[in-house]
Amino acid sequence: MEQRLASTWRMSVNEKKFIESSLLSDLRADGRRPFDYRRLTIKFGREDGSSEVQLGNTHVMAFVTSQLVQPYRDRPNEGTLSFYTEFSPMADPSFEAGRPGEFAVELGRIIDRGLRESKAVDTESLCVISGKLVWAIRIDVHILDNGGNLVDAANIAALAALSTFRRPECTLGGEDGQELIVHPPEVRDPIPLIIHHLPVAVTFGFIGKESIMVIDPTHLEEAVMGGRMTVTLNTNGDVCAIQKAGGDGILQSVIMQCLRIASVKAGDISSKIKNAVESFNTERALRKIKRHSSSSAVEVSEPAQKGGTELSRTHVGRLNSTPEESGVGQSNGMEVDGKILQQETSRRDSGAQSFIGGPSSW
Amino acid sequence: MAIAEPTNNSPSYIDKLVVPGDVVLDLSSMSNQTIKLGGGLRQDCDSITAMKAGMLRFSKPNKYWVESSQKRYVPSAGDAVLGIVVDTKAENFLIDIKGPALAYLPVLAFEGGTRRNIPKFEVGTLIYVRVVKANIGMNPDLSCMDASGKAAEFGPLKDGYMFETSTGLSRMLLSSPACPVLEALGKKLSFEIAVGLNGRVWVNAAAPSTVILVSNAIMNSETLTSVQQKLMVDKLLQRTQ
Repeated sequence: MEQRLASTWRMSVNEKKFIESSLLSDLRADGRRPFDYRRLTIKFGREDGSSEVQLGNTHVMAFVTSQLVQPYRDRPNEGTLSFYTEFSPMADPSFEAGRPGEFAVELGRIIDRGLRESKAVDTESLCVISGKLVWAIRIDVHILDNGGNLVDAANIAALAALSTFRRPECTLGGEDGQELIVHPPEVRDPIPLIIHHLPVAVTFGFIGKESIMVIDPTHLEEAVMGGRMTVTLNTNGDVCAIQKAGGDGILQSVIMQCLRIASVKAGDISSKIKNAVESFNTERALRKIKRHSSSSAVEVSEPAQKGGTELSRTHVGRLNSTPEESGVGQSNGMEVDGKILQQETSRRDSGAQSFIGGPSSW
Repeated sequence: MAIAEPTNNSPSYIDKLVVPGDVVLDLSSMSNQTIKLGGGLRQDCDSITAMKAGMLRFSKPNKYWVESSQKRYVPSAGDAVLGIVVDTKAENFLIDIKGPALAYLPVLAFEGGTRRNIPKFEVGTLIYVRVVKANIGMNPDLSCMDASGKAAEFGPLKDGYMFETSTGLSRMLLSSPACPVLEALGKKLSFEIAVGLNGRVWVNAAAPSTVILVSNAIMNSETLTSVQQKLMVDKLLQRTQ
């Protein structure tokens, strides 16, 4: 009890009063005006499909991985998209390790809804063999530091990671034309996901008796505010999702005002994401040119080769385990996987690198 | 290796970096002199060892401590800190001072405090207090009086704004010739400030905009040199005027 009391973060009455009273004159404790967004920085890891987003003091990391699985029965030719969050106790003492809190679930649901319901990611293009194999895309979001407004930061991180993610190309081939070949990235360039639009989440907080609206609340403002609303929109101005869970009630006119402000902010944010992704892609292309020129040297070195095969083996191991988990069409899945294994081992000379997204290695 | 052999005579370590395990003082070589140990130092028989990495400081006549910058505060006796009231018990107030454990502030530890006039603090009140006892494994003891039993500026802080910084920055703000940020700000603006060694800083002024300007200038100054600090403050002041 004592220990727990000591480790929780607490706020003084002075801070609460100051935040509320200074808002009456349109001032915020960090020097922003009510409708200013904090500085946003988007960084990428070396691997495709990993991103790191900083929004003021908030720090979020996301990475995307893919796996070949059996599709759901009612959607035989659609890939799947799943979203997982990890709230580290280092980010905020109120987060508990292992057990997702109420807020962690809500955050996951908001972002998941924004991406899925608006069909931002084209899932049909993830189909490999209808009814048998599709790509399952998994987005992992790690909260590294909580400076407030985790929803927006996590959403931007997820979008940035999805936009740089590339899945390995696979074709049907072999003697009978039924073998599935997953091409390592050296042989055929991995394919990016088809993303139709970027649904950007913008969060508003409502503070004090007058429910003064602020955009992008900090963790201090979050502790004071009576209600929050998250609006997810894209650059076209389409509203993809709205989340207003409890708290102070707000007027319809305020919601409309929020939507107008949010659509402007969403435009800014998505252009920032696009610019960051573009510069990452040019850098990636430049890196590839270098890799080809020095490829002979890489192949000679023994340990690199070993590492490569090991990685590809673990990947095949993962593939094997998936049909068992789903429990349906096990034998079928195993057959296909066996063939993948053959392909992989025959290509070990090329020093196949892991093609399952990016492990956190920067 | 070009690293010099550590010598045993104590003055060589003052204002130098020490790492945990360094024997900074040898008591056997000092004849019956009492010394006071601050944070980051411990006594093993005749030797004083550093417990954390940082700069060893000495203040006349006999105080030694290790200075470093961190987010967590390790209580040590004699520090003036800013605490937040967490709970009220019959004998003590429970105060959060950013340390590993909550601190006790006895209800009688106020100037002229008796059983009759126990102050009432609501949860979340910010108070400026002094650490009296800080033993390992025990909750620290606080007091709202200086050593001679006077109130001496200690007590609850009303209004204003409190923000958290590192312990290093709060020491810098307290250093005497006044820290460049505070000096530059103080020339143009009038404000009240209370700095706790636990990294909490309280600022109050007539206008909220002054409070915001001062607190953000202080938070930004952590990694800047004194010249940069002055430039930053000048720019901030120009923008607001």
